[in-house]
Amino acid sequence: SKNFLEKPAYSSLSEQIVANKDGVNYLLVGAYAALDGSGTPTSSLGGGNAWEAASTNWVYGSVAGGDAHKGSEGTDQTPINEIAIWQPNVANSFFNTKWRAVYEGVARCNNTLRLMAQAKDMSDADKLKVTAEARFLRGHYYFELKKMFNNVPYVTETTTDPLVPNDVDIWPNIEADFKFAQANLPPTQPQVARANKWAAQIYLAKTYLYQKKYADALPLFNDAIANGVTSNGLKYQLTDNFEDNFDASKKNNSESVFAIQMSANDGTNGIANANMGDMLNFPANFKCCGFYQPTFDLVNSYRVDDNGLPYLDDYNQHAVKSDMGIKATQPFTPDNGLVDPRLDWTVGRRGLPYHDWGYFAGSTWIRDQSQRYAGPFATKKMVYWNYNKDKYMDNNSWAPGTAINVLLIRFSDVLLMAAECAAETGDLGTAMGYVNQVRSRMKDHPEGWVHDYKDPANPIQGFDPAKPLPYYKIGLYTAFPDVTYARKAIRFERKLELAMEGHRFFDLSRWGIADQVLNAYFAFEGAITDDVKGGHFTKGRNEYFPIPQRQIDLTLKNGQPVLKQNNGY
Amino acid sequence: QTKVTGKVSDKASGNPLPGVTVYVKGTNRGTATDPTGSFTIQAKSGETLVFSFVGYDPQEAVVSSGAVNVQLAEKVGSLEEVVVTGYASQKKKDLTGAVAVVKVENITKQPTSQIANQLQGQVSGITIVGTGQPGQEPQVSVRGKNTFGNNTPLYIIDGVPISNLADVNPNDVQTMQVLKDAGAASIYGARAANGVIIITTKRGTGKVKVQYDGYYGTQRPQGGNPFHILNPQEQADLLWMATRNSTAAGSTPVFDDVLYGKGDKPVLPDYIYPEGAMEGDPRVDPSKYYLIPDYKDPGLLNSFYRINKANKQGTDWYHEIFKPAPITSHNISVAGGGDIGSYFFSMYYFNQQGTLTNTYNKRYAVRANSSFNITDHIRVGENMEYSIIQNPQIGILTEGSGIGMAFREQSIIPVYDIKGNYAGTWGGALGNARNPVAIQDRFGSTKALASRLLGSVYAEADIMKDFTLRTSFGGEIYSFNNHSFTYPEYENKENTSVNSYTETTGNGYDWTWTNTLSYHKKIARDHDLKVMIGTEAFQQVDRTLTGTTTNYFSFDPNFTSLSSGFGTPVNGSGYGSNTLFSLFGRVDYSFKDRYLLGALIRRDGSSRFGANNRYGNFPAVSAAWRISQEEFMKNITWLSDLKIRGGWGIMGNQINVDPANAFTTFTFNKATSFYDMTGSTSNLATGFMQGRIGNPNAKWESNTNSNIGIDATLFRGALEFSLDYYNKRIKDLLFNPELPGVYGAAAPPYANVAEMKNHGWDFSATGNIQLASKLKLTLTGTFTSYKNEILKISESAPYFERDTRRYGVAIIRNAVGHSISEFFGYQIDKFWDSQAEVDAANNAAKAKYPGLSEYQQAAAPGRFRYKDVNGDGKIDAQDRTYLGSPNPDFTYGLNIGLTYKNWDFSMFFYGVHGNKIWNQVRWWTDIYGSFNGAKSKTALYDSWLPDRKNAKAPIQELKPNFSTSDPPTSYYVENGSYLRAKNLMIGYTFPAYMLKRVGVEKFRIYAQAANLFTITKYTGLDPEITGNTDSFGIDEGAYPNQRQYLVGVTLNF
Repeated sequence: SKNFLEKPAYSSLSEQIVANKDGVNYLLVGAYAALDGSGTPTSSLGGGNAWEAASTNWVYGSVAGGDAHKGSEGTDQTPINEIAIWQPNVANSFFNTKWRAVYEGVARCNNTLRLMAQAKDMSDADKLKVTAEARFLRGHYYFELKKMFNNVPYVTETTTDPLVPNDVDIWPNIEADFKFAQANLPPTQPQVARANKWAAQIYLAKTYLYQKKYADALPLFNDAIANGVTSNGLKYQLTDNFEDNFDASKKNNSESVFAIQMSANDGTNGIANANMGDMLNFPANFKCCGFYQPTFDLVNSYRVDDNGLPYLDDYNQHAVKSDMGIKATQPFTPDNGLVDPRLDWTVGRRGLPYHDWGYFAGSTWIRDQSQRYAGPFATKKMVYWNYNKDKYMDNNSWAPGTAINVLLIRFSDVLLMAAECAAETGDLGTAMGYVNQVRSRMKDHPEGWVHDYKDPANPIQGFDPAKPLPYYKIGLYTAFPDVTYARKAIRFERKLELAMEGHRFFDLSRWGIADQVLNAYFAFEGAITDDVKGGHFTKGRNEYFPIPQRQIDLTLKNGQPVLKQNNGY
Repeated sequence: QTKVTGKVSDKASGNPLPGVTVYVKGTNRGTATDPTGSFTIQAKSGETLVFSFVGYDPQEAVVSSGAVNVQLAEKVGSLEEVVVTGYASQKKKDLTGAVAVVKVENITKQPTSQIANQLQGQVSGITIVGTGQPGQEPQVSVRGKNTFGNNTPLYIIDGVPISNLADVNPNDVQTMQVLKDAGAASIYGARAANGVIIITTKRGTGKVKVQYDGYYGTQRPQGGNPFHILNPQEQADLLWMATRNSTAAGSTPVFDDVLYGKGDKPVLPDYIYPEGAMEGDPRVDPSKYYLIPDYKDPGLLNSFYRINKANKQGTDWYHEIFKPAPITSHNISVAGGGDIGSYFFSMYYFNQQGTLTNTYNKRYAVRANSSFNITDHIRVGENMEYSIIQNPQIGILTEGSGIGMAFREQSIIPVYDIKGNYAGTWGGALGNARNPVAIQDRFGSTKALASRLLGSVYAEADIMKDFTLRTSFGGEIYSFNNHSFTYPEYENKENTSVNSYTETTGNGYDWTWTNTLSYHKKIARDHDLKVMIGTEAFQQVDRTLTGTTTNYFSFDPNFTSLSSGFGTPVNGSGYGSNTLFSLFGRVDYSFKDRYLLGALIRRDGSSRFGANNRYGNFPAVSAAWRISQEEFMKNITWLSDLKIRGGWGIMGNQINVDPANAFTTFTFNKATSFYDMTGSTSNLATGFMQGRIGNPNAKWESNTNSNIGIDATLFRGALEFSLDYYNKRIKDLLFNPELPGVYGAAAPPYANVAEMKNHGWDFSATGNIQLASKLKLTLTGTFTSYKNEILKISESAPYFERDTRRYGVAIIRNAVGHSISEFFGYQIDKFWDSQAEVDAANNAAKAKYPGLSEYQQAAAPGRFRYKDVNGDGKIDAQDRTYLGSPNPDFTYGLNIGLTYKNWDFSMFFYGVHGNKIWNQVRWWTDIYGSFNGAKSKTALYDSWLPDRKNAKAPIQELKPNFSTSDPPTSYYVENGSYLRAKNLMIGYTFPAYMLKRVGVEKFRIYAQAANLFTITKYTGLDPEITGNTDSFGIDEGAYPNQRQYLVGVTLNF
C-alpha cells in the first residue's frame, strides 16, 4: 500500500507544528541561546571549537588588540598566533567558526520572524513584542559581523536566496533593527535576560558611534544615562564594587545593560551554557589551560602618578615590576609603586590575592613556566571564586565553565561612549564628567579594592576590610584642556575600565589608530615575550579580519564567488 | 546377477583410464579399472553403474546386455560451478555479468572472525582496508568509491539483506560471490551501487558428518621502538638543541628549565613532580603524600600531594599498552541429508584478545539450517543463526586514544607514582598528554554485549511444468547494550574530574519478504530461456536509548547504574524506520550455448524520498559470446573455453540519505537552544532551533555502469583467468554539501548535486600445475584497480574539506577533478639553507608587492621553503596544492598452495601499491615546536642544523611557526605501498588407514603464521590505514595488524 512508504521525520517538529504563539516564543528563546555561540559538546554553533567563536571576543577583541597574549604554550591553538601578530591567514579556521556561529544567531532570529508570520493565534501586540526582541538580537548579531568583517552579506526572514553579495554597507540595516527595537520594546521585561527599550536605545547609539555619527548618538546616550533602567527595573548606575560585574553571584545588577546569561550545573552535563568560549582562559593551576594572559603593556597602563592619574603617553616608561623569569620557588616582592586599583581586579600577578584562591603563586600558575612565551600574568575578570564555586563553577568538562555573565554592554561602557560623543561634539566638560563618573566608582569605594586576606593560610575566608593593600590610588581628571587630550584620556579610560572584555581591537580599529598603537605594542611587548615578536599591523587592510576563505569558496554562482574578500587580503 | 564387463576411456584422447571408481548405485558393490581401463563387476540388468574419477565429470550408465563402455570427460575448470546471483543461480559458463566467485577454502585460512577481513586480496574488484582491532569492521569498497558517505556493499545472506557482516560465522559460509557490475547487481536496484556480496551458508548432504575446526595462537606486538621515541636524556638534549636554535644570532642561549636545570647540558632530575626535585629536596616528603585516586569532589584535585619519580631509563609506553595476546577458535558442525531433506547445525566460539590491553572480541554463535522435501514438487526450509558478541572497541586514529597518547607521553614519566597510583603530566612542564596505561585500564570498564538472530524461512513449489514459485521471509532482530564508567583523572595536566556512567542500549529489526516466479524452458535443442519476476518489501526499524549520570558514591561496577548516581540523569532516545517496495524481473536467454543475453529491471520505491520522486527504475542488459563454442575455434585444443562479456546498466544508492531528508524540521537541545531567561544560573528555559533544511525533491542517483570482460579456460582447466574493465559514472549523486554560513547551522539536506566516476581493471587467474606425481601446485592471483574522479560537488562549491586535526585548516580536500580524500597543503620544495636565501626571496617579493613584508611567512634558515605553486612570487594560501591520494593504484593478492602426499603448504601475499598515507604521528614527534610532548629520534638526530643541512626534519625550535609545523605540508605524506605475507600455513593430514580404526574420517593438523612480515617504506606502525569514505589514510596512531602464530586441527567423523 502507499502508506507503507510514507515515513515522517521522527522526533522532530515541522514548521506547521511550531508556527504558533508558543512555538514562536520558543524560537525566540533559541535566538537568545545563540548569543553565547556555543553548541555541544565543546563546539561552536555550526562547528569548530567553542573558543573560536567565544562571545567574549577574547581572541578578536583583546588578543588582537594588545590587551592579552594568547597564553598557554606556543604550540597550543596555533591559529591564534597569527591573529595575535596580525598576519591572519584567510584560511584560518577561527574566522570561519566565528562567522558560522554568528550567522546561526541571525538564522534563529529570521526563523522566529518567518514562523511568526505564519502563526494564527498571535495578536498584533504579541507579534510586536516578538518582532522587537528578534530584531534587537539580529541587530546585535549583524553588529558583531560588521565590526569583525565589515563587508558581510545581509539576509532576513524574507530572503529566498541566501547567496547574496557582501558589497553593500549594512550599517543602515543594523540601525533599522535597533530603531524598531527601541521604539517597540518595553522599558522593563518579565525576564531579565530579555532586551529592553533602553538596551536597544544604547545599542542604537553605539551603532551611531561606530559610524562616527556622534551628534545622533549623544542624546540617546544622555537620555539613557539619565533615565534608563535595566530589564529587571534597576536604575542604571555603576555598582559600588567594580568586581560585582564579574561575580556570578552579583549578576544582573544595575550596571548590566545587556548581558549573555550564563548558567552552570544546569542539567546538561556539559558547559555549553557556562561561557564555554572562555573554557581555556584560567590560570594553569586551575583545571585548564593557562590561556589569555594580560600583556605587560596592559599592566603598565595601570600605573598612576601622584594624583592617581594614568601616564597617557609614556606608561611603559613607568613599568610595573613583575616576576618575569623568577621561579615560584624563588622569592619575589611585588611592585610597591602606585597603580589604579582596577589592575588587580583585571590581572592576576605574583604575590597578590587572586580572588579567594590565595596569593598568585607566579610561574607555577603559568602554563609556560619560563614565562618567556607569554609573560607572567593571568586573566582574572571571568574567573570564578572559590567560596561559591559549587554553584557558579561547572566541572562537567575537562576545562571549567562558569556562570559569570558576559556583559556585552555595561553601564560604565555607556558612560565612556557618551564621553566620547560629547568630546567629539565639543562638549569637553560633559565628557570629563562622564569619565570622572567612571573613575569615581573606584575612588569613592576603596572598600571595593582588593584587600589582604583575613587568614592568608585560609584565603577562602575572604578579604579583611581592615587590611587594605598599600599600592592603590585613583584620582579624577581636573581638566580636559582640548579635544586631543580629551580623546586620549577617554580612550585610555576605556582601555583601563574595559580591559580583557573583548572591546580593545574594535575600539582601535574604529578610531583609526590601530596601526600606531599596535605597532608600538609589538615593538615594546615583542622585546619581552616570544609570542608577538615580528608582529605588524598594516593600515588600510587589518582594520577588519579577512572574510573566511571557506565562505567565499562555498558561494559560487556560475563559477564565480558571490562573496568578495576584504581589501588587502 | 551377472558379471558385467566394460572399459573406460578418456573422451578427448580415447586413451584408457586406469583407477576409475565403478560402483553399482544404491549398493556397496564397487571396483576400479585396471591399467587397460577395463573392469568387471557383479550387476543386474537395469541397475545403474556410477563411474567417478578425480578431475573428470562423473557419469552413470544403465546395465543392459553386453559390455558397458564409457567415455569420461575431463572437468574443464570451474565452468560447471553453480553461482548464486540475485534471486537465481547460474552455471559459471552462463554468466553474462561481472561476478567474482570467492574461493571459500582460501579465505577461511585467515584467522579472524570477520568475513570481510578474510576477503582482502582474495577476490578481484574489492578493496578492503582493515585494522588490528579485534572485531572492527574493515572499510570495504567494490570497484572504487561511489559516494561520499557509506560505501559498504549490500550483503545478502541466504537471500536476505543484512545490516552488517560482522556477526556472521565465517565457518558457515558455503559460497560467496560478488556482483560487481550493473548486469549482475542491478537486480538489487536502489541498493546495488556499492556492489552486492551474496553468501550462502552450508547445508548437509549424505550421511551424518561431524566436523571440528579449532585453532589456538598468540598475537605478538612488534618489538623495538615503533614510534622512534627519544629516551629521557635525549628528550632533554633536544630541548637544549631547540633552545640554541631559537636564540637569536649573536645572543647567548639561556638554558633554564624547571626539570633540567640551567647548565650547558641538561641534567635529568630525580623527580618530575615536584618539578625538577633531586633526592633530598624538602619538597619531596613521602610522609605528606596524599592522593585519593577515586576522589569524588573535583575540588580535591588541587589539594593532592603527589610525588612522581623520573624514569631515567625511559618508559616504553608502546609496550606498556601493547602485550602479547591469545586467540582461540572452536567450531563444530553436524550435517547430513537425504531424500526427505537436509540439515546443518553448527556451534562457534571465538575469543580474540587484543594486543592493546582491554580490547577483545568474544563471540558465540549457533546455526541451524534445514530443508524438507514435502513432495517431489514442494520444498520448505529455514536458515538461522543466533550470535552473541562481546566486543568493546576504542576509537582509533584519533588524538585522544591510548595509542594516540603512547607517542605523546614523554618517556621520563613513569607509569606509576611512588605509591602505585598513576603518574603523568601533572605540573605542566611535560605537556598535556594523558597516561596511556591509565586510559586503557579505565577503558576496561567498558562492556558491550550484542546479540542477533538472523535468518529466513522459505517455500518453493514447482507448479505446472517449467514454473517455480518461491516465497521467502527473512530478516534479523538484534539488540545491544554498552556501558562504561568515566573515572576521575588526577595524573594529567588536564583532568576529567567528574565521574560519570553512560549506558546505551538499542534494538531493532528488519524484514524482507520476497516472492518470485521463475520459468525455465529449453526450446528445441538450441534455445534456453529463463524468466523470473518478483516483488519485495523491506522494512527496517531501530530504537536506541542512552543515558548518563554523574557523581557516584562508589565506583564499584556492581553499584554503578543510571539510577545510582547523585547527578542529574541525562537521557535520550532515538527511533527510526524506513521502507522499500520493489518489483523486478529478469530474462536470460542462450542460443546454442554460445550466445547469451541477460536483461533485467527493478523498480524501487523508498520512504527516504519525498512523494515527488519516490520511485526509481534500474535497468541493465548484458550479453556474452562463448567464442570457443564456435566451430572455427573447436580445433584449438589448448583453449578450452573463451567468453567475452559486456554489460550496461544503472544502479542506485539510498543508504546515505537520512530518512528525514525531505522535511524541514525544528528541534531543541538544552545545551544549544535552551537559555537561562531568568538569570537563575541553573534553570533553563525551553528554546527551539531549526534542525534540518528539507529537500522534498531529492531523487534517485543514477550510477551508470558499463563493463566488458573476458573469461578464459586454458589447457583443460589448468589455467583460468578473468579480466574486466569497467566504467561507472554516478550522476545526481546524493550528497549533503556544506552550506554557506548564511543558511545557519541546521543540517543541510541531501540533494542530487554531485557527480563522480570510477574506472578500473579487475583481473584474476587460477592455475593448477602437477609438478610431480604427488606434488601439486595451485596458484590464485587477483588484481584490483580503481581510479576515482570527482566531477562535481555542488552548484556553489568546487570542493569540500575534511579533517582539521590540530592545523586549523583541513588536511583533506575532496575536489572536482581529483579523487576522493586527497591530501591538501603546502608542497615542501627544500629547506631554507641560509639567511641570504631568505633575504633574497623577501627582497624579490617586496619589489613585486609593495607592502608585503615577507615572501613566505616566518621563513628562516632550516625551515621549509614551500613551493610557489601558482608562481606569483609569494607564498600564501593560494599555493596550497594536492599532496597525494590515499587511494591505491592497485591492490593484489597471491595464493600459493602446494600439496605433497599428506602434506599441504600454503602462503598468501597481499599487496597495495601507489597509495599515500598522511603520517600525522610525525607532526607530534618530529618537530619540537609542534606541541609539547615526546619527540622522535628524527627530531634529534636527523633535523636541520647549520652543519647538518642534508636532513629529514626541519630545524628544531621552541615555537611553532608557519614555515615548519603550523600548516599541513608534504612532510607528513608518505608512500603507503606494502606487500604483506598475510598467511603461511603448513598442514599434515593423517593417512586414512590410520584413522579408520578409531572411526575418524579425516584428521589434519596445521601450524600457521599470519602477518608474518610486511615489506614497506612506510615509517608508521602499520601501512593499513582506514577512515571514512571521504577522509581516510590519516594515521594518528593505528591499531596495527599484529603477527600471529597459531596451531590448529580439523577433525571429521
